[in-house]
Amino acid sequence: MTFDPNSPETGAPGQPVTRDGPNVQAFIGRHRSSFVLAAVLVAQLLLLSIQITRNHDVRLIRVWAVAVVDPFQRSMHGMTDLSVGAWRTYRSLLHAQQENQQLRVQLASAESQILQLSEQAAESGRLRTVLDFKNQLPFQTVAAEVIASSPGENSNAIFIGKGVDAGLTADLAVITPEGVVGKTIAVFPRSSQVLLLTDPASGVGVMLEKTRVQGVLKGDSENLCLVRYIMNEEPISFGESILTSGLDQIYPKGLPVGMVVQTSAGNIYKNVAVKPAVDLSRLETVLVVLKPNSAQQQASNARP
Amino acid sequence: MPVAPEREVEAFRVHYVTLVVSVLAALLLQTVLPVLIPVAGLMDFPLLVTVYFTLIRQNQIFGIALGSVLGLMQDALSHGYLGMFGMAKAVVGYLAASASMRFNFETLFARCVVTAALVLIHDLCMTAFQHALLESPPPFLPLDRASSVLVNVALSLVFFPILDRFR
Repeated sequence: MTFDPNSPETGAPGQPVTRDGPNVQAFIGRHRSSFVLAAVLVAQLLLLSIQITRNHDVRLIRVWAVAVVDPFQRSMHGMTDLSVGAWRTYRSLLHAQQENQQLRVQLASAESQILQLSEQAAESGRLRTVLDFKNQLPFQTVAAEVIASSPGENSNAIFIGKGVDAGLTADLAVITPEGVVGKTIAVFPRSSQVLLLTDPASGVGVMLEKTRVQGVLKGDSENLCLVRYIMNEEPISFGESILTSGLDQIYPKGLPVGMVVQTSAGNIYKNVAVKPAVDLSRLETVLVVLKPNSAQQQASNARP
Repeated sequence: MPVAPEREVEAFRVHYVTLVVSVLAALLLQTVLPVLIPVAGLMDFPLLVTVYFTLIRQNQIFGIALGSVLGLMQDALSHGYLGMFGMAKAVVGYLAASASMRFNFETLFARCVVTAALVLIHDLCMTAFQHALLESPPPFLPLDRASSVLVNVALSLVFFPILDRFR
């Protein structure tokens, strides 16, 4: 269906002419649309008056109008909600992504801080243990940090951060609360080189804890040492502790050195394998035992 | 504004589907849009549909009928008395058709002028009917009326070219 653009708006021509009629009919024909407008306005005024007399109670037209528009309204509302929801979700995701990135950075920073703090706490604990141990010892010691290990595969030596300035000399015992570490072999102004027990060149005067039989502990490999000069007939039990004998004039008597992990009879002397009491691969803080004259020198160095 | 002898201005045919869809869309936008955009309360989509189709149809009866139907539908969807918008839009339809039979409104400027005039007439009719027929009519706010004219003219600049594609 289309609207005819050429439909007549005004009255049709050729009306029959009567005495009174032609003028009236022609007038009505010429102003037909005005009469229609007036009729429409009057009809709607009547509708208004009906509503006013019936106290607004004209529901039928409203029901029709709502019935026509309601499904479209619902659809449009649904689509609008969907679009707004999608847009909000997109914005939220974008915001969440940015927030996620920020939080990741903060988390990494916090983790690093926690690691640093726990490292400090662990170091503090270690130092407290060393300090307690130092206070219990009947001789003077100097605490030092392990600052490096000597280069070379077979070199069982480390560097500590104290030297001549702290009153250290060569051939001083280096210990930890767990036991003997080694001895200083070279001393520099602010550092010293320490030969570990496990080095083949090292030698420590030791004795068995139970039988008090004495021997010499020599380095054998990276993790084990050997006690020499113990006669085959001497009884040695597995797991027995080895202590320093003090006869070498370097290590004070009675410090733990390690424990027996293997024994076998030799030609004259037994082969006794000892595992060091100290984990030499994880050294951080050590104590250097000062000799009496070294202690005096350290005291004089400490004076202003 | 160019003046043309009566009936020489070209009238256009409009498919009824276009008309029905436009009427429904106008009513829909009139009810939904103000919920989302507060400023859309100033827009009168049914009025623009009445003006556009009456201008291109150039038929006073058609203008009165379209204006009445759209106005009554608008009344029905609002909480006011039925007939207020109906009468105002019937008057607008009649005046738009009368003007379209004498002038050519195919140019942008002419459309803007006639839309502004008809929106103003519609608002004045509404105000007059409300003051004449209601016990407590809403106050007449000149600034709001001026904003309504501007907003609807601006809307017609977007709305009419879209409807032109369906002629």
